[in-house]
Amino acid sequence: MTKKALEVRSLTKKVKNKVIVDDVSFEVEKGEIFGLLGPNGAGKTTIIRMIVSLIGRTKGEVFVNGYNIDEQFKESMSEMGAIVENPEFYKYMSGYKNLKHYANMATREVTEERIKEVVKLVGLENAVHQKVKTYSLGMRQRLGVAQALLHNPSLLILDEPTNGLDPQGIREFRDYLRSLTKQGISVIVSSHLLSEMELMCDRFAIIEKGKLIHVSSINQLANQEQFVPTVQFEVDDVNKAFELLKEHQLTNDWKVEEGQQFSIKVDKETTADVNLLLVNNGIKVYSIHPITTTLEDRFLALTSKGEQGGKK
Amino acid sequence: MISLIKNELTKIFAKKASWIYIIILFLAVIAVGVIQQKVFDLGPSDPNWREDVQAEIIEYQQILKENPDDEWTMDLIQQNQSYLDENIDPNAYSSWHFMNGTVIGMTMLITLFSVIVGSAVVSSEFADGTIKQLLIRPHRRWEILLSKYIATLIYSFSLLVALIIFGYIVGLVLFGAGDFNAKFFETTLEGYKLAVVGDQFLLKVLYYLPSLLIIVSIAFMLSTIFKSQALAVGIGIFVLFLSSTLGGIIVLIAEKFAWAKLLIFPHLDLTVYALEDNILQDVTLPMSLLILAVYYIIFMALTFTFFQKRDISI
Repeated sequence: MTKKALEVRSLTKKVKNKVIVDDVSFEVEKGEIFGLLGPNGAGKTTIIRMIVSLIGRTKGEVFVNGYNIDEQFKESMSEMGAIVENPEFYKYMSGYKNLKHYANMATREVTEERIKEVVKLVGLENAVHQKVKTYSLGMRQRLGVAQALLHNPSLLILDEPTNGLDPQGIREFRDYLRSLTKQGISVIVSSHLLSEMELMCDRFAIIEKGKLIHVSSINQLANQEQFVPTVQFEVDDVNKAFELLKEHQLTNDWKVEEGQQFSIKVDKETTADVNLLLVNNGIKVYSIHPITTTLEDRFLALTSKGEQGGKK
Repeated sequence: MISLIKNELTKIFAKKASWIYIIILFLAVIAVGVIQQKVFDLGPSDPNWREDVQAEIIEYQQILKENPDDEWTMDLIQQNQSYLDENIDPNAYSSWHFMNGTVIGMTMLITLFSVIVGSAVVSSEFADGTIKQLLIRPHRRWEILLSKYIATLIYSFSLLVALIIFGYIVGLVLFGAGDFNAKFFETTLEGYKLAVVGDQFLLKVLYYLPSLLIIVSIAFMLSTIFKSQALAVGIGIFVLFLSSTLGGIIVLIAEKFAWAKLLIFPHLDLTVYALEDNILQDVTLPMSLLILAVYYIIFMALTFTFFQKRDISI
């Protein structure tokens, strides 16, 4: 039996009878990037804090790499590296001393070489001996990744990791996470930005009002039936095109748009067939333009409160 | 555990303030020593002191002739007579006198600085948000808190050692090497007590340790529970400076109500036991220690239980 990188069962948090996280269960496979997606205040951070045991669980169990976090606390904590919200450091010490501080706390020995390796990995070689108070937010973020990776964890937990990173930084970060998963490390990322999740994750869970309402892979979501892409055609004779399509029963979902355009809901293959049909019948096709409904739209369709959190 | 304590010490000593306190301590010892030497003209024994003391006795006897009921003057004569009997120069001042008087007085600063550092050691982690990163390590919470507590105590103890070393050097330079076994009269509430200066110094240091431990623990507890350094330092200093005043008030209350003897304040300064055997009429050192021990256990239990259960949501 292969062990899951993370197994969360019926995680529940109540504070003064108010349910903040309600019976959340999910699993993270080895080498997978798993997203927790939801609007601000949905309970993502609370879930993450319960997993790393910063806050107590009202109910539920957490297994990290097969270790029960209650019974084998030290073993399971050793398997995890985390950034919980903004990474904070001892500003009066250098980045290196900060890392050394965390290295001293690891149960598996972290060598000087390992610290240097991690510093190089996050590209902080030049600044690592300066005091952290001189660092920019991006540099702190990178130092945050360094402290989370220092002890070779098998599970990396990142709460809103791209906060404060510029687009270039986010891109690098994404590529970097990919390269980590190739080494068998699993990653949990939380975010309220769907566009980001779309690019970063293999699978993700949608959290809303403390409940897990949907788990799916990115591909699954893109291929859902009700989301057959809409394709827009620009032709010289819209009416003739409509007659042809009706005759060949290629589509029922027909919509005429302004000018000489119409749009139909068809998959890739049918798009080519439609084009062939039109051209063979002497209709001039000026353009074919797929209108991709974004994942964002689908996310909004799934969550009722999406508008507040789903937009950038 | 050792690596955790080392980490905490690294953090304490990485802060400039921790060093500034040591420098302040050093400067304070020098300043007070110089003032005593220059302004109060304290110094080694004058070879003609016996004649001076005898002259004083004669002077007091003159006064007594005019006022035969003056008890104050009678005491003075008696005291001067015991200087002569015991062969003690009342004005002799050496490095050990400096240690017993001034250096012991300066322990107040150590308590103060320890309170400041001890209350920052937990609350600053909360204020900076670093507590999150600290508690997601493979160590139980109580281990992390204990390492912080021990590091604080090590810092306090280093301050005390530094004070004693500074004090000894400054005393040596300003007043010359004194005899550790020199006898002297210590002023107490009940009059004068004959004692050996070195022994008396060591006794006071020993009696100071429990009160340092308790006050630092109070500050540590408050900073853990309230997450606020300002509050912890404030209450810590309040306890430190008011314990003597409150202690005085409690002496009065204790005459009427026996339970007042169980309050913590009169027991916070145990150095009084270096001067007298009982406080609050019938309370002895073992009893004071027992009362402090009970308070200590309660404080520690509160601190650790609280920290263990707290949700970290900053």
